[in-house]
Amino acid sequence: MSAAALPGTGQPTKAASRPAFDRALLLAIPATLFMLMLFVYPFLYGLWLSFVPAKGGPLANYHTFFTTSDLWPTIGTTLKLALPATVINVGVALPIAFRMRVRGRWQRIVTTLLVVPITLGTVLIAEGMLNYFGPKGWLSHALQLVHFYDGPIRLTHNYWGVLISLVISGFPFAFLLILSYVTGIDPVLARAAATLGAGSFARFRHIYLPLLAPGLAMCFCLAFVQAFSVFPSAVLVGAPAGPTRVISIAAYQAAFEQYDYSLASAIAMIMGFVQLVIVAAVLSLRGFFYRGPVAGGKG
Amino acid sequence: MRHDFRELKLERVTRHFAGAGGHAFAALDELTMTIRRGEFVALLGPSGCGKSTALNCIAGLLSLSGGAICLDELRIDTLPPEKRGFGMVFQNYALFPHMTVERNVGFGLRMRGVPAAEIAPRVARALALVQLGGQAAKLPGQLSGGQQQRVAIARAIVIEPPLVLMDEPLSNLDAKLRIETRAEIRRIHGELGRATIYVTHDQDEALSLADRIVVMRDGVVQQIGSPQQIYAQPANLHVARFMGYRNVLELDVAGVTGDRVELAGGPMRIVGTLRQALGSRRAAVAIRPEELVVGAPDNVANAVRGRVTGVEYGGRDSLIEVTLDGGVRLLVRSDARAARGDAIALSIPPERALVYPA
Repeated sequence: MSAAALPGTGQPTKAASRPAFDRALLLAIPATLFMLMLFVYPFLYGLWLSFVPAKGGPLANYHTFFTTSDLWPTIGTTLKLALPATVINVGVALPIAFRMRVRGRWQRIVTTLLVVPITLGTVLIAEGMLNYFGPKGWLSHALQLVHFYDGPIRLTHNYWGVLISLVISGFPFAFLLILSYVTGIDPVLARAAATLGAGSFARFRHIYLPLLAPGLAMCFCLAFVQAFSVFPSAVLVGAPAGPTRVISIAAYQAAFEQYDYSLASAIAMIMGFVQLVIVAAVLSLRGFFYRGPVAGGKG
Repeated sequence: MRHDFRELKLERVTRHFAGAGGHAFAALDELTMTIRRGEFVALLGPSGCGKSTALNCIAGLLSLSGGAICLDELRIDTLPPEKRGFGMVFQNYALFPHMTVERNVGFGLRMRGVPAAEIAPRVARALALVQLGGQAAKLPGQLSGGQQQRVAIARAIVIEPPLVLMDEPLSNLDAKLRIETRAEIRRIHGELGRATIYVTHDQDEALSLADRIVVMRDGVVQQIGSPQQIYAQPANLHVARFMGYRNVLELDVAGVTGDRVELAGGPMRIVGTLRQALGSRRAAVAIRPEELVVGAPDNVANAVRGRVTGVEYGGRDSLIEVTLDGGVRLLVRSDARAARGDAIALSIPPERALVYPA
């Protein structure tokens, strides 16, 4: 034992009241600069731009958006795609990830299979969908071949095409995220619940679900933001003039067809605000659930 | 689910696991025993001996590869854990982190559909039994390790199971708390009056708690007996080593008379007591450090001489390392004063030098 630790010989440390500057914080400078230049500055620039329209007062763009009949409904159109896609992605990924939670051959195979669509990108997925789901696609041919359904299949160039595309590109993401949450829950908790009389559904309902809830909320938010900013598939496999004229298409047209950057910025800001509202609503639900370590005691 | 029983019968209970190269190995090999109501049974052995496997098989958390488990006349090894109704206490507590202490303890009752009005008083009684009355509204994360373990015990016993299974429940606690909680567990077992199966690698825990000890090694039962039998009369060399017979010498058999065996090696001649039939001319003698006597009067049997080569001070007594004249080293626990380099004479009563096949 060192002498300083003996009673009466130690000095109370003054450093405790005012911690010295941690020089390791300097390491955060490059990342901070990067964030400022590539995220904060463009965002603030866009925000400023949205308030300086070509003509009219500072709020003219926002006024235009909410009074023009081919602009404001894009919020609803986008939500009608993004919310169902997110609910499907998270809702289907949850039971599958739950079944796959035990590490094994199947978990590896399925995970590998699911990573593939993530790497493909939305354009390639849209290409594939046109070949597969199109009126002259494989699916149509196959169904006609077995005389299961002889009519034309309309799963592209409409609402359903975009929804399918959002599920294909968004599901793996939701699955992998939820899988990592599920595998993080100590399986001994479920075993303990089983010895206390909980059947498999009760174990899911009372143990896994409450512990997963914060992670599911987070996953929902990320998947939603991803789906809400849908653009390539809305154009390629959707009907960009009508039912899938999403908000990003409106922003694109304002910027690159009408060359009204100010209006485009305003639309982008509205898009961000809608996302923020949904994310804030979902994350506030997390407050009702337990948030903390998901292990049952000492490891 | 039943609350009471006469006996739990394990018959040739076997569990295989896939090992390296796809070869199955038996983590538990034909465990046969009967546990009666009121008994406290300890499964004792080093890690990997199959004791936790046995417990998980009884709980239903592992399926059997062979054999049967019967609670009285009811065969239970085909039932899932939630249908067996045994209370289990896990090594890392396994408390549900998102539920308060009260909800943790009440979980089993809710799963059984016990009316809410009945749950509250039963939970309160269980918490009082483990002396955690004031902690009902806390989350497990707000409790100390010892308190968490007592919540886990309360949660296992509140359902009034016929059998409480405990998997090394004290191994995460500090030494003082371990001894206190040990006494609690024994008291609770007494108050419930059912049966407890307790897995541990700690001999002291097994000796102080159990009515009967099952010593295991490599999935095979080595000995089943009372703490006194296991301590004083280990059935084989493995049990002896595990139960603290730290001096094991391999010597030649010089002669056998009844259960007395004379062993010789170099200048040493030791008379010991035969514990297991010898198969060859070599034998091992096992002696506890605390049963060696310092000082050897002239006429005493089994005297050896050597020099002190190490002393480990332990408060009331010391662990003295003695190197005999032939180079063999022995450990002696004694309150005699000794210093490195001292000449020392030791003796051992022949009935306490246990002889096993080498």
